[in-house]
Amino acid sequence: MGRVLITGGSSGLGKALVDLCVERGLAPVCVLDIDPAPDAGDGKLDWVFHDMADQEAAPWAALSETLQKKGPFDLVILNAGINATGRFEGIPLATHLSVARVNLLGPLRLVHMLLHAGLLAPGGRLVLISSLSVFTGYPGAASYAASKDGLASLARALRKPLRKSGNISVQLVCPGPMDTPHAARHAPEGARADRRIDPARVARQILELPHGRFVLLPGPGAKLAAVAGALFPQIMMRIMGKVLFARLK
Amino acid sequence: MKDKLIFVTGGGSGLGLELVRLAWGRGYRVMCTGRRGVQDLPDDFPDIPYLCCDLSSQQGAQQAADWALGQSHGRIDCALLNAAAGYFRPLVAETATSLSDVLALNLEANMILAHRLAPALDGGTLALIGSVARKGAAGMPVYASSKGALDGFGRALAEEWRGRACVRVLHPGPIATGMAARAGRKPDFADRLFLSPRAMAHCVLDAALARKGADRQVISYGRVLFHPARLLRRGAT
Repeated sequence: MGRVLITGGSSGLGKALVDLCVERGLAPVCVLDIDPAPDAGDGKLDWVFHDMADQEAAPWAALSETLQKKGPFDLVILNAGINATGRFEGIPLATHLSVARVNLLGPLRLVHMLLHAGLLAPGGRLVLISSLSVFTGYPGAASYAASKDGLASLARALRKPLRKSGNISVQLVCPGPMDTPHAARHAPEGARADRRIDPARVARQILELPHGRFVLLPGPGAKLAAVAGALFPQIMMRIMGKVLFARLK
Repeated sequence: MKDKLIFVTGGGSGLGLELVRLAWGRGYRVMCTGRRGVQDLPDDFPDIPYLCCDLSSQQGAQQAADWALGQSHGRIDCALLNAAAGYFRPLVAETATSLSDVLALNLEANMILAHRLAPALDGGTLALIGSVARKGAAGMPVYASSKGALDGFGRALAEEWRGRACVRVLHPGPIATGMAARAGRKPDFADRLFLSPRAMAHCVLDAALARKGADRQVISYGRVLFHPARLLRRGAT
């Protein structure tokens, strides 16, 4: 495998992915993040500052130029994401809009830019990190649920065209709660951290995902919840309302 | 019952226009927004409050919400958020501006309207018009993505507001509104199978105003072709 590009590599699943890539000798890993590089200078990370929510044209043009010197990429993982939990009306509108922009508009623009500049290597993989909420619903995080459903629809829409044009495999990852700072911030009170899946395990499954597989539901818990949500969406949504949304308030 | 107030976005053409005509014809009070100027509306457009605005800008969406709140004196029985746009072309053929415009109109404007209209919708209904394209229509990836996002948003909000206000995401099948042609799709034999906007408007309005119903509903051939109004040949074409 050749070059790797990961967005949001400074914490959580993104960090686990970066660490695993470095461990497996895939360095230097190109990372896009708004946080500064953790330990610059060891040459294993190719850290690029970028804000996925940026609305201006100039930073994206600059990013395109930078990436053209580093690409094309065989593995692109769009992982950067933020969340906002609570009652929809209780959260400021600006927060909802930045969730939608970081999690959905940013990835749309980035994939558009990569395709435009021919930075997705033929035979490579484009991995979108969505959420289990695609299957279960996520009351209490309306804008987050929106963005993750948007990513899932995007993955489904891109799957066939990208396979035909360059044998690029588009893959959708729908993790449930992971043992990350993100989950700790947004879990309801009294939620048990030890029941959350280890991000290192999810990272391993993502890197080892076969080229032809489309959806990855990491761990038995996520698989079970996804099946239940697909079969009984309304019931699953009510359960999410009871065990999650009611406890957020 | 009939003095219900219905608010429609994107009422100047397409499905929105039919929804406005139909709701007005059924005797409801109707107000709507649209991109078209008042002079460009069809001659038979009903005499109702109309705001010409661009919902794809944040200011436009906020202005529309404030206008609706002012017109309704703080109580809207049903908001049909229908305004949308999209292009029939591969992702690489989009531009950075078209990406953000489509997302702003199809998702963000609806989030802004829901956020601002929330108090006025107490006891009422918020109906979000999605699309069957949300399943991942390969010909229009950005539109599919925006409608998928709207679905996720509506489902979450439906559970949050349950017992207080009703939220429904209604996903129409393909309609002959001219949107497909405007979106860059070459007309072919499949266009003859597109559903009539008027028949679709009957089904969408019924689904939005029904007392009971699922949070997410697909309104396609089965429901439209066997709609009572169509079978009785009254009004529907």
